[in-house]
Amino acid sequence: MESRLLKPALAVYLGLFLLFLYGPMIVMAILSFQGPTGGPQFPIVEWSTYWYQHLFGQISGSRVSQLPVGESLIRSLVLAVMTTIVSTVLGVMAAQAFRTRFAGSGPIFYLFVLGMIVPGVLVGLGMALLSNMLGIDRAWWSTSFVLHVVYTFPFAFLVMLAIFNRFDRSVEEASLSLGVSPAETFRRVTFPMIFPGVLSAMLFSFTLSYDEFSRTLFTSGPRLTLPLSIYGTFSVEIYPNVFAFGVLTTVFSFTLLAIYGLLMMRSVARNNQQYKGQET
Amino acid sequence: MLTLKSVSRHYGQASAIDGLDLVVPDDSYVSLLGASGSGKTTLLRIIAGFEEPDNGTISLRGARLDGVPPHKRGVGFVFQNFALFPHLSVEDNVAFGLRYREERPVRDKAEVRERVQTILGLVGLEGLGRRAVGAISGGQKQRVALARTLIAEPKIVLLDEPLGALDANLRERMCDELRAIRQRLGISFLHVTGSETEALLMGDQVAVLADGAIAQIAPPDDLFRSPASATVARHLNAFNIISGTVSDGRLRSPVGALALPTGTGARNGQPMSVALPYDGIAVKPRRDEASDGISARFVTAEFKGPSMLSFFRAADGSLIQSLVHLSEPRPPRYEPDQVYALDFDPELLIAFPERAY
Repeated sequence: MESRLLKPALAVYLGLFLLFLYGPMIVMAILSFQGPTGGPQFPIVEWSTYWYQHLFGQISGSRVSQLPVGESLIRSLVLAVMTTIVSTVLGVMAAQAFRTRFAGSGPIFYLFVLGMIVPGVLVGLGMALLSNMLGIDRAWWSTSFVLHVVYTFPFAFLVMLAIFNRFDRSVEEASLSLGVSPAETFRRVTFPMIFPGVLSAMLFSFTLSYDEFSRTLFTSGPRLTLPLSIYGTFSVEIYPNVFAFGVLTTVFSFTLLAIYGLLMMRSVARNNQQYKGQET
Repeated sequence: MLTLKSVSRHYGQASAIDGLDLVVPDDSYVSLLGASGSGKTTLLRIIAGFEEPDNGTISLRGARLDGVPPHKRGVGFVFQNFALFPHLSVEDNVAFGLRYREERPVRDKAEVRERVQTILGLVGLEGLGRRAVGAISGGQKQRVALARTLIAEPKIVLLDEPLGALDANLRERMCDELRAIRQRLGISFLHVTGSETEALLMGDQVAVLADGAIAQIAPPDDLFRSPASATVARHLNAFNIISGTVSDGRLRSPVGALALPTGTGARNGQPMSVALPYDGIAVKPRRDEASDGISARFVTAEFKGPSMLSFFRAADGSLIQSLVHLSEPRPPRYEPDQVYALDFDPELLIAFPERAY
């Protein structure tokens, strides 16, 4: 009796929650198909792909200037890739080190994790002051990059730590006992087995870096990353071309997630084939 | 020949292995019997190099092993949980050592394939090479683990409770196969187990590990006929151990006064334990006069197919087990809580004089 009421209630609740999660994105998606004369709000004057064309510079003579995102998009992507690689490599190495207890491993653990807890604005400001003091020019590929790594590394580290926690060491020992060196063992046994975790760590690092705002704000110098330049357009006037751009980046993110999901499924399926049949 | 000399390993205050000496001869099957927590896995891990001893030396064919990294020791290891590489097929699991080992890796693909097929045939896994290791049964996994170790031609193979994860009937068959495979290859096996039946069945020699050291190493029948100490006898799970003090040529114990075998020759006041074989007991109706021997209350019986194991509780609360082989006349049904006299031939007792502290 109870579950007959409870289940539909929970289902409705879940539906509302999902709507709440995706509401803003849905609104944005709808408004991105606004006509040339419409504004960034309802009602939709006319359905069109005008603002998508505008985004790619195919509309000439518009009074609305083109969204200055081209270069900053490239910058953000390059920065995210750089951050992903460095953070994941560091995260895997650090987590590997933490598999054995060493002197000071407790405090060092908290120092590592601190990077994701301290407020970004403060770290950004601190970095800006430091680079001024040292006379280093701020740029997205130097000062911002360092902060992105500081910020995303703890996430990669924690993901890998969880993976190694469930890792059966005897598989590595089996490899060693076969005469295979520790380095080769890592390459042939450990890495393939932790690969799903590495993917997750990469996904975390990439998305966190890709839309990082506060740390980048103070440290990127004159060349802006994508979140900064989008924010910059808001301070003038908002047109639906921002929404069109938002939809495109969301599609890009979903593609990334889909690739992640596929790789994950392949790797998990390979590790989890179950035996069905009679013991012989 | 694998030689361990006064090897010790401590964890904090507790010592898992304490001054252990052991020799595993070439071309032999030695089983190591120990209760859980006796440090038997620790011992294997020390030999394999996954852990280093705090003290003592380990040498294999004259070369020191301790301090050498595990991948340079030439010691094979078969894990209780198989520890197969989950991302590789059966073939690739078996070929792993040949392909990727540091010394003399086999690069010739045809040779690898041929040796893999040979070894798969040896362990009875023909035709399963392309399967994923998740897609085979427990017994097959154990064979893959064995093949993977044997193909690398180790000087000695350590087996850590290799049959522990298998079904009972499969375990017996694997026992026979392990022995046969070992004989064909002529490598030494050191097989660790907590099961006395497995240890006695498998080993040319059985070593009993107790209190961090080898209490006795002997061929199974010698071990059974003359265990060196009460501890060893207890591990064999075939003896009732009764402790007491000698007085006038008899053993005064909490369960009663027992006659000692002739020639025991102990002075009065000497502490002593005796081992009374489970199957040396004749259960008789109770005698009235307080005489020699053990009077005990029947608790319960376990029917074990070819034998029947009965449990009695003596006056002091200790448990005494009696085993009757059912090839003999079947014993009558005992009444629970009824007191019986447990008779035995004193010459069957094995006496262990203990040091008086």
